[in-house]
Amino acid sequence: MGEPLVHLHDVAVGYDPEHPLIVDVDVEIIAGDVIAVLGPSGIGKTTLLRTIAGLVRPLDGHVELGVAPRGGVGYIPQRLGLVSNLSVQANVEMGVRVGLSRWYPPFFAVPKTQQRYAERAMEDLGIAHLADHPVRILSGGQQRRVATAKTVAQRPKLVLADEFLGELDDDNVDIVMRTVRTAIEAQNSAMVMVEHHEALAKQVANRIWRIQDGRLVEELSR
Amino acid sequence: MNRNTAVGVGGLALLTVYLFFDLVGDWGRMAGGVDNLLVFIRESLWPPNWTVLEAQSYPVCEARFEFTCSVAWLGMVETLKIAFVATMLGFVIALPISVLAAGNLSPMAMAVPARVVLAGMRSLPSIIWAVLFVIVFSIGTLAGIFAMTFYTVGYLGKLQFESMEGIKNAPLESAKAMGMTRLETAWLVAIPESANQLLSHLLFMFEYNVRHGTVIGLVGAGGVGLYINTYLKLGQYDKVVALLIVVFLVVLVIDFISMALRSAVNEAGDVERPSWSSIFLPASIASAQHPTPMGGNTSEESE
Repeated sequence: MGEPLVHLHDVAVGYDPEHPLIVDVDVEIIAGDVIAVLGPSGIGKTTLLRTIAGLVRPLDGHVELGVAPRGGVGYIPQRLGLVSNLSVQANVEMGVRVGLSRWYPPFFAVPKTQQRYAERAMEDLGIAHLADHPVRILSGGQQRRVATAKTVAQRPKLVLADEFLGELDDDNVDIVMRTVRTAIEAQNSAMVMVEHHEALAKQVANRIWRIQDGRLVEELSR
Repeated sequence: MNRNTAVGVGGLALLTVYLFFDLVGDWGRMAGGVDNLLVFIRESLWPPNWTVLEAQSYPVCEARFEFTCSVAWLGMVETLKIAFVATMLGFVIALPISVLAAGNLSPMAMAVPARVVLAGMRSLPSIIWAVLFVIVFSIGTLAGIFAMTFYTVGYLGKLQFESMEGIKNAPLESAKAMGMTRLETAWLVAIPESANQLLSHLLFMFEYNVRHGTVIGLVGAGGVGLYINTYLKLGQYDKVVALLIVVFLVVLVIDFISMALRSAVNEAGDVERPSWSSIFLPASIASAQHPTPMGGNTSEESE
C-alpha cells in the first residue's frame, strides 16, 4: 500500500452551507492512485477538486494534506490556468519554480537543473518546438499540452486535473496520459481527474469516484 | 425601454436641469458675453503671434536649426521631458502599490490601505500638487516632475489595480494551488497577464501628462505652461494663442501615435495590427478592410 497523500475527513463540499453539493466525503488518496471523478454537470466535481486543492474551504469536516504546501500540489483547472501573454517555456518553468525556495526572487531565471526539467517535460509532450511562442496563439489542444508540461515539470506529489483531456485527439490523449503516468510513477505521486468521458476515464484511472445524489461513491478500485 | 428605466432616466434629466438652473441663478449675466468674446478675439487673440517659433534674441542661439532656440520648441520639449520622466517614475512607483491594492492578489487588510494611498494621491489634481511642490522646490521643472509623478501614481495605480483584478481567475488559482508566493503570483502571473492593459494605460498616462504639462506650467512648474503664464501676465495674448496652437498640434500628434501603439497592444495582442482606418472609420468598416492576419484558435476561443 502506497503512502497516504490526502485524507478528506467527513467533508461537505459546496459554497452555500444551507445547500452543500456533496456531503460525508471520507476518502483517502494514496500514492499511485489515478482517480477519475465522474458525474453529471453541476453536481460538484470541480468544487470537490478545488476543495482538495485548498481553493475552497470545506463546509464541514477537514482536508488533511500530507504533501508540501509549496510545490506539493499541481493543479490544472478547466481553463488551464496558463498565462497567455508569456511564452510556453515561461509557463512551464513556473512549474519548476515552486520546487525552489520561496525566497528565490521571481525576477531571476530558474537555475539550469530546473530548466532541464522544464525542457524535458516540453520534449515529452511534443511542444519543445513551440517553446518561444506566446501561449495565446496556440490551439486549444496545444495549450492543454503546455498545462500538462507545466505540471509534469513541477513534479508534484498530487496532480489535480479538471477535464484536461478535453479537446485532445486520441493520439494526444495517449501522449499526455503516458507522460503523466510516467511522471506519477517516477514521483510515487497520485492524480485526481474530473472527466466527462466515462469510457476514457475508466481506461486511464485505477479508481473511480462517482458523485450521485450529493454523495461520493467509490465504484472501481483495482 | 421599460417603465422603470424611463422613470429613472427622466428623473436624472430633471435633476440635471434643476441643478443647472440652481447653479446659474442669474441668466442676465450671459447677455453680451458672446460680443465681449468676439471683441477679445478680434483685438487681442487673433492673429496668433508666430514669433514664438523664432529663436529668442537672448541667449544667442548656437544651434544648427534656429527653431530649436524658440520659446515654442524649448517649452514644448521641456513639457515632453517632464511628462516622460513623471510617467515612468509614476509607473514604477504605482506598480507595487497596485499589486497591494488588487483584491485578488492581496488580502483586504492590505488592499484597503493601498487603495486609500492611491485615492489620496489622486484626489488632488496635478495643478494643486504643482502649487505645493513649487512652494517646496521653487519655480522650475523639479516641482513639475514631482507634481506630475504624484498624480500619476494615484491615477495610474487605480487603472493598474483594476486591470489586475480583471484578469482571469484560472491562472491565479493554479498559482495558489501550486503554492506560489504573492510576489511570484504578482510578478509571474498578474503583471504579464494584464501587460497589454498596463502598457496601454502607460501610453494613455503619457498622453494625459503632456496635456496637463501645460496646466501645471501655469503655476510655475516648468514647461510650455511657464511661457504661457508669462505671456498672460504681460497681456501678450496673441503669443498665448500661438503657443496653445502648438500645444494642440503636439498633443494631437502624440494622441495619434499613442492610439496606434495602444491598438498594437490591445487584448487581441499580435493578432490585430494597428490601422489608421480604425481611428477614422467605424469599427465594422475598418475591420472589413483589415481582416485579422491570423485567424488562429486563441485562448479565448479555446476556453
